[in-house]
Order: sequence, then C-alpha cells, then structure tokens
Amino acid sequence: MTTAATVSEVRRRFGRTQALDGATFEIGTGVTGLLGPNGAGKTTLLRILATVSAPDSGAVSVFGHDPASASQRVEIRRRLGYLPQDPGFQRGFSAFEFIDYVAILKEMTNRQQRHAEVRRVIDAVDLTSVSGKRVRALSGGMRRRVALAASLLGEPQFLVLDEPTAGLDPEQRLRFRELVSRAGEGRAVFLSTHQTEDVAALCQDVVVLDKGRVLFQGTPSDLSAFAAGRVWLADERVTGAELVWRTGEGRFRHLGTPPSGADLVEPTLEDGYLLLVGRFDEEAAA
Amino acid sequence: MSWHISEQLVASYATGELQGARAASVEAHVMTCAECRSAVNAGVAPERMRGIWSAVEDEVDMPRRSWTERVLATLGMSDSDARLVSAAPSLHTSWLLSLAAVLVFAVWASNSRSDGTTLFLILAPIVPVLAVGGSYGRGIDPTFEVSVASPYPTMRLVLLRSTAVVAASGFLALVASLFVPSGGDVAAWLLPCLALLSITLVVSRWFTLPLAAAGVAAVYALPLLAALANHRDVAHLLLSASLQWVALALAVGCLALLTHDPMLRSALRRNR
Repeated sequence: MTTAATVSEVRRRFGRTQALDGATFEIGTGVTGLLGPNGAGKTTLLRILATVSAPDSGAVSVFGHDPASASQRVEIRRRLGYLPQDPGFQRGFSAFEFIDYVAILKEMTNRQQRHAEVRRVIDAVDLTSVSGKRVRALSGGMRRRVALAASLLGEPQFLVLDEPTAGLDPEQRLRFRELVSRAGEGRAVFLSTHQTEDVAALCQDVVVLDKGRVLFQGTPSDLSAFAAGRVWLADERVTGAELVWRTGEGRFRHLGTPPSGADLVEPTLEDGYLLLVGRFDEEAAA
Repeated sequence: MSWHISEQLVASYATGELQGARAASVEAHVMTCAECRSAVNAGVAPERMRGIWSAVEDEVDMPRRSWTERVLATLGMSDSDARLVSAAPSLHTSWLLSLAAVLVFAVWASNSRSDGTTLFLILAPIVPVLAVGGSYGRGIDPTFEVSVASPYPTMRLVLLRSTAVVAASGFLALVASLFVPSGGDVAAWLLPCLALLSITLVVSRWFTLPLAAAGVAAVYALPLLAALANHRDVAHLLLSASLQWVALALAVGCLALLTHDPMLRSALRRNR
C-alpha cells in the first residue's frame, strides 16, 4: 500500500470548539473509511485534506505536496476529486451543465474531450436519462449522484468524499460501492460515513475519529475484533450491558462485559465502533 | 423499392467523399430502403462512426448559453471562461434588477429633493462595489467549496467576474447618471467608485469578497449618509477636487499593490 496522504498532529479550532485536536494518521491507496459521531471533526478533516481549509497547527501532506504552499496546493488540486457534505448547484443548471462547469474548473478546456468525460461520469453514476434535467428538479439522491459524478471527473488520484451515501437508496448504495471500489484500485479514496456497513463492505482501512482525536486506525476486521468476547445474545434484556437492542429475530443483542454463560456471538464492525467510541466518551467524562 | 445504390456510391458515401446533393440523395434513399441502409452501415469504418456519434452527442449536450455568456463570448472571452464568469450570482437578472432599483431610487431622489444629487453621488459608486461582493465567495456562490478545491486559480476567477460585474453595474449607473439633473457634476462618482473597487480587491486578501465589499461600501457610505441626514454640506466634499485626487491616488496605489501580488501575477499568467 503506497501512502497517498499523511496527517500529523493537526489541530483546528472554531471559536470555543476544538474541532481537531492533534489528529494523526496515514491514508494509503485503496479505500479508507472515516467513522465518527456527529461533531467528531470529520468534515473539518476532509475539508483540510481537500485544501479548502487550513489547519491551525500540524502538518498535512498529499502525494508529498504541502497544501500550505500555493504552488504545491495546485498540484494537489490537480489530482483531487472532492464531494463536499453539502454540495451546492448553480441556479438553473442541468445535471450535464453543472458537471461541465466543474470540469472547466478542473482545467478541462477542450470542449469535445470535456463533454466526453462529462458523459462518462454521468453514465458511471447512472444518470444518463436525466442529464438534461435541471438539478433543482431532481430528487435528493439524484442530486447527490450528480455531485458524486462531478468529483469523479478526470479519474482523480485522491478522492475525498464527505458522506457520499447520504440520501441514496439501497440499490444506489450498492452501485456506489462498486463505483468507489473501482476508483480505489491503484488510487486513494477517503470517505466519511455513518454507515458502518459501507465501511465493512468497501474499506481496506478505517479511521475512527471522536472529539477531534484519532481513536483507531486499522483494518475493518481489527475494529470488529475490538468487540470480541463482548457481544452476546439473550432472550431477555440484561442490565449492566453498555448497549442493548432488540434484533429482528426478537432476541436482545448486548454489548459490554458478558455475564457468565452468555451466548457470545461474532462481533460486527458496528459493535467494535460503538464500544470504542462509548469507552472513549466515558474516559473523557471521567 | 425498384432500385438500389451502387456499390461505388455506397463506398464514396461511407468514406465521406460524397458531398452535397448526391450525399443528400443517398440519405433520402437509405431512410426508406433497409437493404441500402444495411450496405451503407457496413461500409462506414467504426472509427468514423464513433467520430460522427461523438460530434452528434456533443451538439445535443451543448449547454444552453445565457445572455451574459453570449455577450462575454462576443467580447472575445473563451467559452470556458465565459461559462465560469456568467455563473456569478451578481450577473443574474435578479441581482441586476436589485441594483437597478437602488439607482432608480437615487435618480428619483435627485429629481424630487434638494439634496437628491448628493444622495446619488453617495449611492452610485457603491453599486458596482456591491456587485463585486455578489460575484464570488462563501454563501454567495453555491459551488464555492468545489471551486476552491479545483486547480482553477481563485484570483483569476475573482478578477474575471469582478470585471464583468463592474462593467454591467457600471453601465447601469452611467445610464442612471443621464437622468440626474446636475450637469457635468454627476460624473464625480466615477473616481471614488474606482477607488472603492480597488480597495475592496486589496481587502479581499484578508476577508471574503462579500465581506470586503460590504465593509468598504459601509465605511464609505454610512458616514456620508449620516452627515447628509444632519444637513451637512456633503455635496461640497463629494465635488471637491481634493476628494477626486485622493480617490485617484488610492485607486492607483491599490492597483499597484495588486499587480505586485505574486498570486495575482500567477493567476494572470495562466492561459497566456
């Protein structure tokens, strides 16, 4: 795995809120997922990696380029595809016109080649039939795919996606996984999400962020293993567990220290994530 | 169908050698003759077919050009730059109508109040400044975040859009000047306007463009409006030669600062 980006001791504050508090990790080629609760600093981190924002302190490097330098920042941007959390759209633009507009911003000046590339990415997100429709007339999920298509222009070496599956239906999410999986072959994709199943299905590496700090970096199976021996099923709700919920089969899934004789089950990535973030929150509160 | 296109004609048409009326005749025939259509189809090289399809798709997908885009292209701007510039919010009809409304109010005041011309001289220079503030920036441009993360130089985009919106709003202000009853004095807003625009661009190195424009417009206009409301002789100040010289000096100084800015130079060098 080749290193695409490094983040070292990055701090960023907004007023009284410490959004990032010494975050340190590496992003390699392949798909890396970023998990974390709301307000963990995920969007701030992604905006810094996308060169939209700068850290107060610490160092960031993308393909060996320092985004603090104007000339190196341009080199990063030439290799970057970015999907913001709330992508805006120019008023009155059709899906094709919007993506064409972003293609111009990405220095694609030859009109015929640019249009061919716009058609390619529209086809990749399965929006060819609505490419002539105004973006504002499209559903939320379709708009998300329009913005995703724009981020794929020029087959970027480093793709930064902020909650790309928000608003997508299950079929679209499966198609998205195929798309991102292909984008991560030989290139780097860094995506933030609340969907742990997307991370389990797609990512070779996962970073967990909470309160601006990196709690974990490793493979999805390592994160699942964090909950090994601490997930069990019971017919009744057992007090003392950290988290309990009723499953579709009518049994109760418990996370935490198991009572003797508990019916232990294989932990999922979500179990590992919940226990990791829960433990950190308890430590922070203590 | 009683006759069919000869093999030689099919070959000439398929390679693109056949032109004009004869080509049109072949096309009319293949519309109704499946046998000849199949022959022509088989004769066209896949490479040529792809090229034809690509050109057709390109024509079909051609984005609609707004009126501002057409004007900018007519003035010699490249198609791609014209597209980025015409997306400036303050070039949208709603913005231009709002600015025109401010000027119509100022013209109405100049014709109905004794100090109306002074009011026009205060408001006219800030109209292009506000238009510049509405051309680019967070909260103004819906694609701001995507444009910042792109390799297209931000300074170049700001300058191109600023030039376009100043031309549009300045034209509106000049037309409005024609309806102000004060003879040649009404042109006294031009140099202050140039100075305010230059200061806005310099200040935008530290603040967002909308904030810089709003701040510069407020710092200039609010004290003058307050003085006017207190029946001070603001007209004397606005029409004084010293104010015009100060405005000229500020404009030249700020433009000199901007042209010595390495980021600005780098942005201007692009596409040369």
